[in-house]
Amino acid sequence: MKMKALIKKHLLEIIIIGSILLIALLALLMINLAMPKGDYVVVIYDKVEVERYPLTAEISKNLSYEDNHYNYLIIKDGKAFILQASCPDKICVKQRPISKVGQTITCLPNKLVIKIVGKTSTVDMVS
Amino acid sequence: MKSPKILLITILLGALFTLSSCQTYKSYEAMSFDYFDTVTTIVGYEKNQKAFNERFTMIDNALKKYHRLYDIYYEYENLNNLCTINKNAGIKSVEVDQEIINLVKYGIKMYQSTNGMMNIAMGSVLKLWHDAREKALADPLNAKIPAQDDLLLAQKHMDINKVIIDEEKSTIYLEDALMSLDVGALAKGYATEQVAKMLEDQSLNSYVLNVGGNIRLIGSKPHDELWHIGIQNYDLTSDNDNLATLALKDLAIVTSGSYQRYFEVNGIRYHHIIDPVSLMPKNDYVSISVIAKDAGLADALSTALFNIDIEQGKTIIEQFSDVYVMWVSSSGQITYSNQFTDFMI
Repeated sequence: MKMKALIKKHLLEIIIIGSILLIALLALLMINLAMPKGDYVVVIYDKVEVERYPLTAEISKNLSYEDNHYNYLIIKDGKAFILQASCPDKICVKQRPISKVGQTITCLPNKLVIKIVGKTSTVDMVS
Repeated sequence: MKSPKILLITILLGALFTLSSCQTYKSYEAMSFDYFDTVTTIVGYEKNQKAFNERFTMIDNALKKYHRLYDIYYEYENLNNLCTINKNAGIKSVEVDQEIINLVKYGIKMYQSTNGMMNIAMGSVLKLWHDAREKALADPLNAKIPAQDDLLLAQKHMDINKVIIDEEKSTIYLEDALMSLDVGALAKGYATEQVAKMLEDQSLNSYVLNVGGNIRLIGSKPHDELWHIGIQNYDLTSDNDNLATLALKDLAIVTSGSYQRYFEVNGIRYHHIIDPVSLMPKNDYVSISVIAKDAGLADALSTALFNIDIEQGKTIIEQFSDVYVMWVSSSGQITYSNQFTDFMI
């Protein structure tokens, strides 16, 4: 009974908070869907870009910048992901494949970030 | 009483026409990952998204048709394709669609034009490399290149003269049970060209087909503006995305690169273009770009040129009119064939 009264008293607040959450969720979904597909997979080691691959490539590459530290990057079907890694937590391996501009996969133990970026040139197509 | 009404309708209609003629063509783009083991990008200028989507569906269906016909890895229900021909090597001839006969005939023609540097009958060798690459993608730590003994054994089964075409019966037979067709160096460009021709027959203008780097331009951009096509910089960390930018229309441009598809073993890179003589990937070039009228020709040549030096390459392209080439050596040195630079901006 007390709960019902409480809900009744704060009905307006509940509706407002509920709608804000719903709008935020929808916006997030729309932003995610509208994000353009990227053109390059950028590898950042210790804050510096060290490698760049076309997202259209089919590549398996051992990214190893310190002894006994490695992340195996796979680029396939327009997506990039880490297949195997030396890090203890394996968080990077568990990440979903990325393909859209701005998406990242981070491996903190190996100081590694994989990031998707768009092209900067203004040509109609690249061969 | 009637004439003012007619006047009004005329004015309204006139206004409508003026408006519609002002309606601008916008650029639309769509991608697909389903065909030829690569990424397909279609760009087209249309009045609205709906018109573009209809064209894209048509192009997508056409590519699907060629993908199924030219697939060497899978068979499809009620369809004899290249995989069927390979499976029946040394057993029996297979009745196939005319589009398959045309592709194989073109492959044999290109074998002759390139002195065997592009060989669609070297499936036995390419399969070993394909398997090694697939294994490397699944388990990079244990990646290996094919054993030399296996390669030499496979080399004995790549005689293109044992591809028997019977045009009357519309059949293909591989005489050697251990041989197989692999059209990876040709099929993407060839299919792109067939789809482009289909679109040209429908008087389509202002479209670009890009099937895994096999670019075919259909017409120009609206108002006769040329397409700007970039040639990817092999040094992907460089500030310049493109080594060159070309202004083109109606033509095809294909780039074969060693940086696009490869795997590594002990830090050594093995790319996907296999030299029919050494049975290994050659490391003379990082990329070769070929401009031609026909995307199939450009595709086949870009592969063949990878396996020979620039002088030999120049001799080969002399057989064809309107073929222009840019070689990028492994050290980054760029060589152009005659007139290639005319397209550069």
